[in-house]
Amino acid sequence: MKKRRLWFMMSAAVAFTTLVSLNSCRKDPLNDMTDEESRIYITNRDSTANFSSYATFSIVDSVAVASNGSEAKRALTDYDKQLIAAVKSAMQARGYTLVDKAAKPQLAVNLTRIDDTYSSSYYDPGYWSGWGGYYDPFYWGYPGYGYYFPAYYTVYYKERAVSIDLVDLKNAQADKQLNAIWNAMFRGSGVWDSNNINNMVTAAFAQSAYLKK
Amino acid sequence: MLRLKNWILIIAGCLGMQAASAQVRPPLSFNINYSIAQPFGSVKDYSDKTSFRGWQAGLQYMISDQIGVGIKSGFQDFYERAPRAVYPTKGGDISAVQTRTLQVIPALATVQYQFTKPDAIVIPYASLGIGAANMNYEKYWGEFVDKDNSWAFMVSPELGINIPFGKASPLLFNASIEYNYASYKLAEITNFSTLQGNIGLRWHIN
Repeated sequence: MKKRRLWFMMSAAVAFTTLVSLNSCRKDPLNDMTDEESRIYITNRDSTANFSSYATFSIVDSVAVASNGSEAKRALTDYDKQLIAAVKSAMQARGYTLVDKAAKPQLAVNLTRIDDTYSSSYYDPGYWSGWGGYYDPFYWGYPGYGYYFPAYYTVYYKERAVSIDLVDLKNAQADKQLNAIWNAMFRGSGVWDSNNINNMVTAAFAQSAYLKK
Repeated sequence: MLRLKNWILIIAGCLGMQAASAQVRPPLSFNINYSIAQPFGSVKDYSDKTSFRGWQAGLQYMISDQIGVGIKSGFQDFYERAPRAVYPTKGGDISAVQTRTLQVIPALATVQYQFTKPDAIVIPYASLGIGAANMNYEKYWGEFVDKDNSWAFMVSPELGINIPFGKASPLLFNASIEYNYASYKLAEITNFSTLQGNIGLRWHIN
């Protein structure tokens, strides 16, 4: 009888341990995730902006690379050229006219690649204080103007990301500041891979139907 | 891991106890079951797949021929991957493939009433579990996660049958169906509600 009881106890322990180890292994959400599935495309808008009130835009001739919160450098890799071209044609498709930056564009398009920016994780409502220089007011001919972003603006960390910012130059003189009225951010695996540029830019504009002349 | 260790300690402690009894089978029993759970309501909207990743285990002591009290725990994993879609946010939109998961670990006190005497061929029963459940909510936006881990009140009525492997056998086949309700609120989940089927074994060990 005692022997039998011992057997029961042992089999119970074995069965219990097996069940626990088999089933407490939950289905892992990340191990079968493709790069495409890992990416998210975030767009934010200034809810007070009237997007059809702008007619012209200009786009940067190179892409800012913000690395670890340090002063951004400008770059023009093949990726950057393709990104500039993709955003340019997406803006044109929405009815905006591309002009030279000397011809007083009403909208400025800034492009930024963000690299492993672990030192710049914060949420700064209303005011953009980080990375002086890469949103270069001098580039757009507004020296001394601060950059202001709406309350939604968040900078993420420990990853590579791509940011497209649409800055209001039309009202800069009156406001004495440069307001970002639209932003798109690409996060996840493969955002710096040029094969993904068209998909990402198309998605960001597709989910922003209000962004048109 | 701590939870498992505690379980082993409890079981070992109970096995050490001696209970003199003239009953058909010893009063202290232990059960393990494989569980399948179907979510309802807002949990179904969040993650609508039936969960085949679950188990349940419990300890019970018969205080009379037909009434038992005990404890039970377990695990259930809900998981759904939603194809890419655009979700509105406060200031705009996010395009993402969402992977929505919820892991539930209940810790319940139970009381059970058996409708027949213990020498019956089939012993149908009803039981009620009341306690708390640990809810681990993880919603992935692409590879980025929104997560929350918290406890919620849980109540879980259960109907089932025990079929002894031979008269007075301490080993019984167990099958049951239970409804789980937890007052859990997070984001899109307004309360937790599932129907769960269990199949397994019950040993009267001491």
